[in-house]
Parts: sequence; structure tokens; C-alpha cells
Amino acid sequence: MSFDSIPIHVVPPGEPGLTGNAPPLLRELLEMVRRLLETGEPSAIDLSALPLTPADLDWLRDKLGTGEIGVTLQANGESTLNETACPGVWWVTHHNEQGAVTSQFIEVAFVPDLVKAHPRDVEIGSEYLELLVSDL
Amino acid sequence: MQGPLIDTLARRGVTRRTFLKYCATLASMMALPPTAGRAMAEAMAAARRPSVIWLPFQECTGCTESITRSHSPTIEGMIFDMISLDYQETLMAAAGHQAEEARQNAMKDNAGKYLLIVDGSIPLGHDGAYSCIGGRSNVDMLKEAAAGAAAVIAVGSCASFGGIPKANPNPTGAVSVSDLVKDKPIVNIPGCPPIPVVMTGVLAHYLTFGSLPELDDKGRPKSFYGNTIHDRCYRRPFYDQGKFAKTFDDEGARQGWCLFELGCKGPVTHNACATVKWNGGTSWPVESGHGCLGCSEPDFWDGGSFYKALSAPADPLKFAAAAAVVGAGAGVAVSVANRVKKNTAKATHETTTLADLEK
Repeated sequence: MSFDSIPIHVVPPGEPGLTGNAPPLLRELLEMVRRLLETGEPSAIDLSALPLTPADLDWLRDKLGTGEIGVTLQANGESTLNETACPGVWWVTHHNEQGAVTSQFIEVAFVPDLVKAHPRDVEIGSEYLELLVSDL
Repeated sequence: MQGPLIDTLARRGVTRRTFLKYCATLASMMALPPTAGRAMAEAMAAARRPSVIWLPFQECTGCTESITRSHSPTIEGMIFDMISLDYQETLMAAAGHQAEEARQNAMKDNAGKYLLIVDGSIPLGHDGAYSCIGGRSNVDMLKEAAAGAAAVIAVGSCASFGGIPKANPNPTGAVSVSDLVKDKPIVNIPGCPPIPVVMTGVLAHYLTFGSLPELDDKGRPKSFYGNTIHDRCYRRPFYDQGKFAKTFDDEGARQGWCLFELGCKGPVTHNACATVKWNGGTSWPVESGHGCLGCSEPDFWDGGSFYKALSAPADPLKFAAAAAVVGAGAGVAVSVANRVKKNTAKATHETTTLADLEK
């Protein structure tokens, strides 16, 4: 017997619309961008911690637009770090290996930390390069 | 196996970025500020393995199963490996005197610094004779191990609240860890079994900040037990609209309506199942069509039938307006009903003796 033959279909309730919780985030982002410019301090908003409906997120995403850079990270599932039309504002989505969204952030930074290579990892890379060179 | 956590993770193919991403998500689940993810990653990456002694008492090993077999190798499982688990009967290779010696050594070498994890309730009846390890009663071992612990983590409903062994008529005189240990910080992680990530979250918090997370009035981490199942349930809009399944195979059940009338204990149960879910985020009881049993609340086994509604449903429109109030009211009603029930049960039951068990 396949699961398809079980006659239970969850019908999601009518998509809740805009709650009005998204617009204030733009003001918060503005503050964060100003702080980045003045002090260089990066910051982030945890979107999964806020009462935002899918419609709110779409609205926010639409307002912020799409920028020039999109980074894809394959680490225990896919993560995307996409710059928005406002440089320095990044839309970050983490997926697990099953493809479900595990967390979602808006990061304000020149480059998100996750993108930078850690010095210790660079060291390991240089050891590998030395190995390649010694084999020449 | 010694050295910072990140090196051990790297040897297992977990990259720094994977770990950073994991910590960001963990911090988000624990309702910590977004910047805490990075702090957590840095602190945990450099952390030395804390000594952990795990004592299993009157339990079914379901909690161990939940945590060690949560999913094929998750970082959760690996972090769990990274602690220096100096004593865990189910997992350790040593047995008999060697095992007990390992426990004694760990307690001596890390006096005042080790974490003590307990799963299972502790029977006090007949001087604790109902559950013994190496000829010593559970209560005796708990008191000895707790004396030198930095903190105690009670895993599962049995260790947290007494659980199923404590259910009426409680033949073994089972009690919880907090009934016996009064002078150490205790974190309760109830659930039957508890959600694996809660365990990791508490360990991560301890490794990062050197302290235990904020707890609610029942000793549970607020970040995971702060909301009720009902508060975060995806079927909540149906409750608000007054749409209830009346049986398990009626039209309402097929439409995925609210399971309140089928006995769902979601409104009075604090846990994170609705957001974290189970089996690697696949599903959870309500999503699979069954109401919440309330397993992370004290005495859930004695709360009446799992299939009896918390209170008689009122007019749907009134429900929508007063949903929150009804939820709270239902909680009080249930606990009063429980108390009455418990007293009746106590009055009608005779004390079970050893002779009864041998019949």
C-alpha cells in the first residue's frame, strides 16, 4: 500500500496576508546599515524569530530587491547568501539536507562571515598547495 | 580524541562553515540574538571536552535512543560524541567492575566540574531496592554523583517529573531528580522522549557561556519550552475558526482540522515539537494526525484519557474570541480534575508490596 492511498489531505488554511510586521524592519535595516558605515560593525535580523507570514517575507524580499552577488554554500544542505539591491544587505537562507529551511536571516555586512575563509582553513589549504608543489 | 572540538569535527568531515551554519541555526532555535551564533561557534570550536557522567535509572532507554539515533550522522550526534562521556551503561564498552571503576575515576578526576545526566526516575520504596546497579540503589548513586557535579541535567519526563514509573499507583515510590537533589543547578528536559536538539542546545549553551540556559518554573529551558504546542501549531487557525475533527476518519480529520475534540493536549503542553518537529524535521504527532499526549508535562500519564477533550468545546465563535483564555482555563480544569482523580486512585489502591510483585 502506498502513502498516496491514504485519503488524508491537509488543506492549509487560507494564506494569511500581510500583518504589517514587515515595514518596521526596513527602518531597523536602515539603522543597521548606518552603523555598518560608521563603525564597521555587522549585524543581523533573525527572520524565523519574528511573527512574519510568508506574504510578509515576500513583501520584504520584493522591497529589498535583488543585487549583483549570490553565494551558494553546500554544507550540510544548501545555503544561499544573496545580496539585495541595497549593497551590504544580504538575504541568508539555510536549508537542511532534506531541503527544508532551517533558519533565515537578513545580514548587514560588507561580506557575511560565512563567506570568508578562516585563517586556519587557509593554512590547511597552503599545506596542500605545498604538497602539490613538492610533487612537481 | 583530545583537543578542540573543531579539530575532531574536521576529522569527521565537518567543515568550519558547516559548523558555523549549524551554530547559527541552533542560536536561532534557542531564541538567542543572531550574533550569538558566531560566539557559540567560536567558543564551542575551541572547547575542551567536558566530562559527563550519565546515570540511567528507572527508564526504558527511549531517551538514549532519541538522542543517539536521531538521524544518520548529525552534528547533534557528533557533539554528543565530543563530550567525554565517561559513564553510560548502554553505550560504553566496559562492563561490570570496569564500568563502575570508570565512573568512580571520572567523579574523582573531575570533582566539582563534571556534568551529570540522569535519565529515569528514582524509586524510593523498599530503600530503593527496586532499581540497583552493581548492587547499589539508584538513590544512593544519585546522591553520590550529584555531590561532585557542576550541574545536573534530567533527561526525559521520568528524571524530570517521575514520568511513567511514578504513574498511579506508583508501585516503586518513584520520584524525580529534583525531589532528591536540592543543592545543585538542575535542568529538566522532559518529553517521552525529549527532542534531541534541546539536549544539544543545553550542552552548547554550557560550553559557550559556561552557564545553564534560562529556565521556566518547572526547570525547563525557556527557549524550547516557552510556548505551548497549541501556540505554535500549524493547525491553530482551524481552532480559531472552530473547525474540529470529531473522529479520526471523518471529513474534518481528512481536511487536517484541529484535533482538540479528539483529546489533543497541545493547549496545556509546553514543548518545541511544533517548530522543531521529529525525525530530522520530517513530521510530528499532530502533523501525522494524532493529538498531542502532553508528554513533557508532569504526571501526563494520569491526566485522564488521551482521547478525552480538555474541556467541552463551546460555541465556535466564542472560541475564536477567547482562545487564549480557554487554553489557560482548560489547564486549570485539567489539573483540578487530575488531583481529584489521583486522590480517588490513591484511596482505592493498596500499597504494592514485594510479595504482590512475585505473585
